[in-house]
Amino acid sequence: MNYLKTKLTVGIAAILLSIVIPACGNEANSVQQQSEDGRPIIQFWHAFGGAGSSVEALVEEYNNYQNEVYVNATYQGDYLENQSKIQAAIAARNHPDVTVIEAGAIGAFAKAGALVDLGELVKQEDMSLDDFVPGLLGNSYWDDTLVALPFARSTPLLYMNKNMLEEVGLDISGPTTWDELEEYARKLTIPEERYGFTTATNTWLFEALVFQNGGEILSEDGKKSLFHSDAGVEALQYWMDMIDEGIMKNPPAERGFDVSQQDFVNQNAAMLFASTGSLGSILDSIEGQGFEVITSFLPKKEEFATPSGGSNLVILENTSEERQQAAWEFVKWMTEKEQTIQFSQATGYMPVRQSAIDSEDMQAIYENSPQFKVAVDQLAYARPRPMVPAYHELQVIITIEMQRAILEDGVSAQEALTAAAERGNELLSK
Amino acid sequence: MKLLNYLLKGLNWVLLLTVILIFIFPFFWMITTAFKSFSETMMFPPKWIPDQWLWQNFVDAWQSGPFLHYYINSITVTVSILVLQFLTVIPASYAFARYRFKGDRFLFALIMITLMIPAQLIFLPVYLQMSSWGLIDSLASLIIPFASSAFGIFLIRQAFKQVPNELIEAARLDQASEWKIMWKIMVPYAKPTIITFALFSFITHWNDYFWPLVMTNSELSRTLPVGIARLRDIDSGASWNLVMAGNMLLVVPILVIFFLAQRHIIKAFVYTGVK
Amino acid sequence: MKSWPIIRPYVMIAPALIVFLLFFIYPIYYMVYLSLHSWDFISPTKDFVGLSNFQQLLNSSEFAKVLSNTLVYTFGTVVFSITLALFLALWLNRSTRIHRLAQTAVFSPYIISLASIALLWLWMMDPDFGLLNWLLSLVGIPKQPWLTDQNTALFSLILVAVWKGVGFNTLVFIAGLQSIPKDLYEAADLDQSPKWRTFYKITLPMLTPTLFFLVVTNVIVSFQVFDTVHIMTLGGPVNSTNTLVFNIYMHGFRFFNIGYASAVGVILLILLAIMTWLYFRLLSKRVHYQ
Repeated sequence: MNYLKTKLTVGIAAILLSIVIPACGNEANSVQQQSEDGRPIIQFWHAFGGAGSSVEALVEEYNNYQNEVYVNATYQGDYLENQSKIQAAIAARNHPDVTVIEAGAIGAFAKAGALVDLGELVKQEDMSLDDFVPGLLGNSYWDDTLVALPFARSTPLLYMNKNMLEEVGLDISGPTTWDELEEYARKLTIPEERYGFTTATNTWLFEALVFQNGGEILSEDGKKSLFHSDAGVEALQYWMDMIDEGIMKNPPAERGFDVSQQDFVNQNAAMLFASTGSLGSILDSIEGQGFEVITSFLPKKEEFATPSGGSNLVILENTSEERQQAAWEFVKWMTEKEQTIQFSQATGYMPVRQSAIDSEDMQAIYENSPQFKVAVDQLAYARPRPMVPAYHELQVIITIEMQRAILEDGVSAQEALTAAAERGNELLSK
Repeated sequence: MKLLNYLLKGLNWVLLLTVILIFIFPFFWMITTAFKSFSETMMFPPKWIPDQWLWQNFVDAWQSGPFLHYYINSITVTVSILVLQFLTVIPASYAFARYRFKGDRFLFALIMITLMIPAQLIFLPVYLQMSSWGLIDSLASLIIPFASSAFGIFLIRQAFKQVPNELIEAARLDQASEWKIMWKIMVPYAKPTIITFALFSFITHWNDYFWPLVMTNSELSRTLPVGIARLRDIDSGASWNLVMAGNMLLVVPILVIFFLAQRHIIKAFVYTGVK
Repeated sequence: MKSWPIIRPYVMIAPALIVFLLFFIYPIYYMVYLSLHSWDFISPTKDFVGLSNFQQLLNSSEFAKVLSNTLVYTFGTVVFSITLALFLALWLNRSTRIHRLAQTAVFSPYIISLASIALLWLWMMDPDFGLLNWLLSLVGIPKQPWLTDQNTALFSLILVAVWKGVGFNTLVFIAGLQSIPKDLYEAADLDQSPKWRTFYKITLPMLTPTLFFLVVTNVIVSFQVFDTVHIMTLGGPVNSTNTLVFNIYMHGFRFFNIGYASAVGVILLILLAIMTWLYFRLLSKRVHYQ
């Protein structure tokens, strides 16, 4: 009996294995080839946590709208995480067909030859790019080749808690200069209870300050760091002084965007720099909290300025001609007027087409919720982010060095930025 | 003297309860948080017990990702690993325990050395290997590297060595094949050790976060621990009630098993570790 | 058929051996190979660069920080957790119900996924709404930044590791205590030797092998810390919790310096090898003396 039993066990195990192993094999190229209804599947990886449901809603709409292909959207974590997954997947040759790449990282992927030349596809069907908002195409070209179309595009905004401003008797049109922002922050701070101002002390927002102060991040040929000039040092010093005074909260850099947004929503901070793409989720989460949010331009120093940010849609190389074409249809559809309106409305990201901005729908939104319009107006002062491939790594280093200056005693703004610049020059010269 | 004794005894009790609290309370905290409303999680001083027990949180957490998939994957991966380990470890242990052959000591040492090589050290080269086989992002990439276990071979070889020789000799006289001896005599004899090892292996792989994090890209092949850690990213990570609800989905099965098979599990992890 | 008995053991070992060769032994070789090359994951070629990855690593202030973080974390975790475990073991080594309950309670975090525990403690260490700061406020201690300050972050990770691991160490110690022959204690009792003396003369020497086993396994586990770093701090603030494995992950999967990442891996391999060698050396010594 016992012997039978062991035999039986072994038998069952064998059967189990014969099920499991082919099952694994099937999923091995997890790029599943067909959907349940037999449509070829286009894989799309994205990086939207908060705005994820809006992206997935669009994708679902696309799947209903046409019946040639089935697009499968997968959330991969934030931009950095998504990009690392993409790069690793390229090495593993099981990358998706379409993805989003953060504006400052397009260069890294384009240089490695990972992105499909969209210019060719545009030419083939005589499509016009004129309708795309011009300021947003800045991070779409590499070596004069079109490699990306703008999708979830943003600039940072100044968010303010209107009730708090009124409570301390400040003009609700908001601060327009660095000095005024500091003054506002001081007046809005209640020690132990709330901070006047908070932001992720992140490289993207640092770029804004450097630009506003008349500085540059990198030299024009992208070979040298320039952010440690006086313009940059002053910018960092400006933050450091406010943090030391206790009127600005410095959230942990690794989760800076999340934590600063939470503090603002929970009314632990009165003002916030954050992407316009957070507008939707901020408005959602303050519902019923009994306060209003207003937005305005980032304040100026020498001039108004901001980096444009967010991400572009790209098609990855090495998918078959057919899939490429299908991916292209999807990318085109996602960036069309109706879809960009819908996405903008839900999330706060800017519409990427001029016709969308001018449309009645969008104008009605701007009428009702003027917060949505600020980013579009601010575009007039927007500049593209650096495109050099090494910037992918350099921006992490800049953030870390800024944190070092802010957090460690005896490290000056100049020292920290110089250290980052030297490391940067090494990377840039590679 | 007697009074002092009672006092000491009482103090001992208080201290014991404190220790128990330190280790149990976080779990209690996880459970109550999982039932709170969002605004209740944002209170300071914190609220102990939610006003309303929101079962809805579990539904929301479950729906915020393909949790059914995560569950199925976790189960598939863990069970497959156990089955494969059973099939590779037993014969190898038997060979090492019962035969002398050329290079046996060397081969055994080679296998034991891998005990000191953690997955965290070699994930990069293994990732590249897997990718050249086209296995990245498959359940296979989560299973086959663990298809055998050096620790298992070590333990079970030990147990096989303790099988009395007479038993085996008697079976050989009965013309039993080696195959039959292995499964019919050795395995039943070593059953407690095998169960112990299986529990150890199950818990280790069920809990594993690192390997699936590195090897998978799509929801189709992610396992529960990775899926749960992602809950934090959704909605800017503010919704601790949902994160804790998700967390319970991972923890509760293990806690249940733990309280059912406490003795065995403690033995699995501890007493075998000492040998 | 004659040769079958000779081949048989090899055939029986083969499946297991193939797994180890493919997934443990060969990757080590491949890692050393990669550490001598420069490669970005996508390019078709890997350029041989000799030891320059190691040169770069030894000159890097980031690596110095990473190495010291790992060593501090390991030292802190091992010392706290083993001392505490020894103390708990001596105290909890009784068979009354409540003592057994305490043993189980102390052990329970050990079987829970580190990912779960990291999330749970991330929540408890929340500077604004976390349980820990509330507990501190009860005894009049101001709010602590825990994971959000570079001076306390690494310590916070150590705290989590100790909480999770101390139960295992405690129960191993208890097992060790129970294997000490009772007659040794009876003899000591007869001599009316004071308690501390018995501990010092009998318990501690008899526990040395256990202690030793625990130190080595704890060190090896601490060297590999990753899950808590990845979930709780991502290496920050300012690299204060960036550890060896996390550094390999970042350079490998974020910045695509495969060569550099592999070089860090080789350093970790050396550290592990030293621990292993130490273990076996001392183990063989112990066998000698017995």
